[in-house]
Amino acid sequence: MTKRWQRLGNAIWQARFLYLLLIPGIVYYAVFYYVPMSGLALAFKKYNARLGIWGSPSVGWANFQRIFTTPAAVSAIRNTLEINFSRLLFQFPVPILLALLINEMRGTKWKRVYQTVYTFPHFLSWVVMSAIISNFFANGGMINTIIANMGGERINFLSNSALFRPLLYFTHNLKEMGWSSIIYIAAISAIDPTLYEAATMDGASRLQQAWHVTLPCIRGTIITLFILQVGRIMNSGFEQIFYMQNASVKGVSEILDTYIYNITFKAVPSYGFSTAVGMFKSVINLVMLVGANVVVRRMGGSGLMG
Amino acid sequence: MKSVAEHPGKTARSGLNRWTRGDTAVFVILTVVALLILLPFYNAVVISLETNRAYALHPVSLYPAEFSLKNYTYLIEKGQIWTGFQNTVLITAIGTVLSMSVSVMMAYAFSRRKYPGKRLFFLLMMFTMFFSGGMIPTYLQMKSLGLIDSRWGIILFVGVSSYNIVVLKSGFEQTPPDLEEAAKIDGANDLVIFFSVMLPLQGPLLATFTLFTAVAYWNEWFWSMLLINSSGKMTLQTVLRSIVAEAAAAADVSTGEADLDVFSQGVKMAAVMMAMVPIMCFYPFLQKYFVKGVMVGSIKM
Repeated sequence: MTKRWQRLGNAIWQARFLYLLLIPGIVYYAVFYYVPMSGLALAFKKYNARLGIWGSPSVGWANFQRIFTTPAAVSAIRNTLEINFSRLLFQFPVPILLALLINEMRGTKWKRVYQTVYTFPHFLSWVVMSAIISNFFANGGMINTIIANMGGERINFLSNSALFRPLLYFTHNLKEMGWSSIIYIAAISAIDPTLYEAATMDGASRLQQAWHVTLPCIRGTIITLFILQVGRIMNSGFEQIFYMQNASVKGVSEILDTYIYNITFKAVPSYGFSTAVGMFKSVINLVMLVGANVVVRRMGGSGLMG
Repeated sequence: MKSVAEHPGKTARSGLNRWTRGDTAVFVILTVVALLILLPFYNAVVISLETNRAYALHPVSLYPAEFSLKNYTYLIEKGQIWTGFQNTVLITAIGTVLSMSVSVMMAYAFSRRKYPGKRLFFLLMMFTMFFSGGMIPTYLQMKSLGLIDSRWGIILFVGVSSYNIVVLKSGFEQTPPDLEEAAKIDGANDLVIFFSVMLPLQGPLLATFTLFTAVAYWNEWFWSMLLINSSGKMTLQTVLRSIVAEAAAAADVSTGEADLDVFSQGVKMAAVMMAMVPIMCFYPFLQKYFVKGVMVGSIKM
């Protein structure tokens, strides 16, 4: 027994320098992630600022029951899911297509210029991006002026419930597709060139090569990114929606994140209830992530982390 | 960017070297996409550089009808955006140094041989990528730490990212073990190896993530909005947001001819440009490196 302890002590002493390096990080994660995680206890309490998180009276599952009896919360859940499944459909494949196209492009120099254009919006904040977009799509903006000059009717893009969500997907693609495509381009550049040579010998056209060689070869990358995206199914991109949202599209745009923000910082706050909504969101995310990972493994893929 | 552009499979296939219809199609599609991205920005630049009168007469023009820098001078004289700049530069500088130090040290420790607790700490860190206390518990924690209305709240919290640490870790893992062995034989201790062997070897990767972290601080809006109350401590993005939101309220009802009492469309776009320009200045330097950063990350996955 003492020998084992000695060996453990020895191993720890050997790695003392590495522990030293870990300390700031451990403190950071403890203070900003794990203490707040214990604060999730709030979800089961009626918060009283005077008594603090731990002194506040417990209410059991009442806050969670309230989620499903509050129409606004239920509608926020529905909007979140609808928007995010649509994002998987309308946003997830776009960077893959872009990567395939860039890969097919002739001319190294032009490729670089184009990629610069596609990528730069990623580094701008949504504050900047939404201002640019609102300016562009406003009633007096460029798009509508062009429409009007061509004799068409001005379209109120920004406050039209039917157009709000497509505008979300479209503008998100404008901002992020270039950045997201880099990882696919990197994966494509790692493909063995002899595969293409063989395909060319067999008389495969470029489209056939993209379909039968390139896509299967980057399947692993696609699956990994897909799982990660599914694990964020309850996060709909708070900032984008928060900035682009306005009163006339609230019915289709209020998601869980904006809902939590509004009930906590605008109305009379009920911290217990807000925390419960947030926790509900996090748990669903985690379940979806693990679920997607299991499904992929069952289907013979390698899933996350090996 | 180079390694991506010089696609190995490409040379094999472009042996024919004939410009085909397929090439034209690819070129046209990619050009349209590029224009879709550039046009809104170009439009904003033009509006920011012309007088309100010219904008009201011709909302869409390819160049400023009446060139004027008044929108920019107005913003600078008003001073609000200047306060934002000062605070954001301060937060970005201190925050980037602190967060990168914490991340690099942690990543290096995780990249070394097995030792008790390594796996546990790593998993605990990874777990926060997928599950967290959420907004309210984090806010209450900030409150109990006395970080409300303090720039330190943003500095300490925003810059560390588990994803960055994972990528940095795999970068360190790829350094050849011989180098470390050789240094050890030369009598260097762990500290010397870390600073004089490992860090210099990862120069490009460190540069990439330093810039990513700086961008994250520069663009941070959510926690500055929640934490900061006094106008003297406002960050650039919160100032920008208040300028933009004020103008949006006016533009909603009219047809874009903004009320002159609030910020005009020109001033609004000028503010957007001012927030954008510093990032655009760093972008070319950043672009050289970030593909490598992303690639190391993708290899890991």
